[in-house]
Amino acid sequence: MTDDHRAQFDAECRAAGLMLSARDRELLFDMWVDWLPQRDRLRAEVPAPEEEPWR
Amino acid sequence: MALSVADLDLRGVSEALARRDVTSVQAAEEYLGRIQQHDRVLRSYITVMADHALARAKAADADTERGRRRGPLHGVPIALKDLIAVAGVRMTSGSQLYADHVPTRDAFVTRRLHDAGAVILGKLAMHEWAFGRPATEGPFPTGRNPWDIHRAPAGSSSGSAVAAAAGLCAGALGSDTGGSVRGPAAMTGLVGHKPTYGLVSRSGVLTMCWSLDHVGPMTRSVWDSAALLQVIAGTDPDDTSTRGAQVQDYLGGLEAGARGLRLGVLRRFYVDFPGLNDDVRAAALTAFETLRAEGATLTDVDAPSLDLSTAAWAPFLAETYEYHARNLRERPEGYRESLRPRVYMGALVTAADYLRAQRLRERFRREVDALLERVDLLVFPGQMTPALRFEDFPMSGLAPASMRYTAPWNLLGLPAVVVPCGVSREGLPVSIQIVGRAFDDATVLRLARAYERATDWHTRRPDPTRWRL
Repeated sequence: MTDDHRAQFDAECRAAGLMLSARDRELLFDMWVDWLPQRDRLRAEVPAPEEEPWR
Repeated sequence: MALSVADLDLRGVSEALARRDVTSVQAAEEYLGRIQQHDRVLRSYITVMADHALARAKAADADTERGRRRGPLHGVPIALKDLIAVAGVRMTSGSQLYADHVPTRDAFVTRRLHDAGAVILGKLAMHEWAFGRPATEGPFPTGRNPWDIHRAPAGSSSGSAVAAAAGLCAGALGSDTGGSVRGPAAMTGLVGHKPTYGLVSRSGVLTMCWSLDHVGPMTRSVWDSAALLQVIAGTDPDDTSTRGAQVQDYLGGLEAGARGLRLGVLRRFYVDFPGLNDDVRAAALTAFETLRAEGATLTDVDAPSLDLSTAAWAPFLAETYEYHARNLRERPEGYRESLRPRVYMGALVTAADYLRAQRLRERFRREVDALLERVDLLVFPGQMTPALRFEDFPMSGLAPASMRYTAPWNLLGLPAVVVPCGVSREGLPVSIQIVGRAFDDATVLRLARAYERATDWHTRRPDPTRWRL
């Protein structure tokens, strides 16, 4: 993990309006870092136009 | 009473009641006695409803005396995961926050079970809010696996699995958002059925993710699950997801066998997955050959989007966060430390992530729909590993690797059942999983029954003499 990761995480928590204890913040950060590769995979996918959101 | 209901499956109890070999009061009393005897170790119940159960059992017996049996569940003692409401009985969801929560209305499925004459023995242990981790301590322990009490039964419907497997009820209901019926059923040698999304109402059932939650049976045999599903399936005005529910006759075609069914083996993603336990793989491959011998045809198939299914499942945790946001803000100490970050993760899901996941879900649906035009059912191992020791259970991370065996089928809402297919070298149950077309739960159950009929894994019981700490 990098300082960039920490800055990005802090920004995302702010954007989400999360007010966390120091302990929860660390636990969440670890989970978030662990999850980033999956999220990157999700964001890298380019759905076809007909792949509309589930109705 | 010479007959012990604890040795029987739900069907056996039902038939014994119909023959009047046993009364419902006798059956309920035996289960209550076993709960008193064994549940200090197994910890499968959060609330035992002894007075309620005995009153219902007495009424069922009176109806039987008058020749008014209501069906196969009449007088049968069962139990419910503690997120399914029974009016006037506390419902905790395994959470300190809800330790004193008492719903005033029955859940839809509770009403259906009562109307069918079932006797509810109590409310069963579960992972906190259906998303926590196994716990052996604290106010709401999640239960010990009756096949080895030093192992977790997985979750989140842990108590449902323990009670049904240990003969502390004739069958149970659980809920499944990423595998919470099928996982614990697989770990305890039970049949676990996640019905088609929209077939069983969730009104009166506490939420984890609105669009992925399912309520389903956990039982010792396929017939048992079919009988429970027959009662709880159907349209409920209080749950709009059930508007299109298509209810079938789940018991009528159960003995039709495997002959003529075309099965697709999801080999690349499931059987060949390097993380799959060798004993589970070997048992599943043997089970597939049994199905072939029973007259099914098997072909290897694949759905490339399976690789994205865990990535597409997680954004739905935005729903979990939305459900919990206020409580987390006001009373974070009411959640275990191991659960809080998993729920907070939902707050970090953007609207774009959520919609991207929805679109990938649609891609996945199209792939699987195409497969299910070529084959009737999909088959694969039911779990990644046999039951884990408590200390080996993953306590960090958002979604364990084992979820690949279950969560994709919550995304699609297709019917999925696990059925026991062997034991590991350590004597722990393992299973196969069967997935079918939407609202064709009957064919899924038919194949499960065909397999069960050809084998005897479902007749094995854990040894009560080992339930000592």
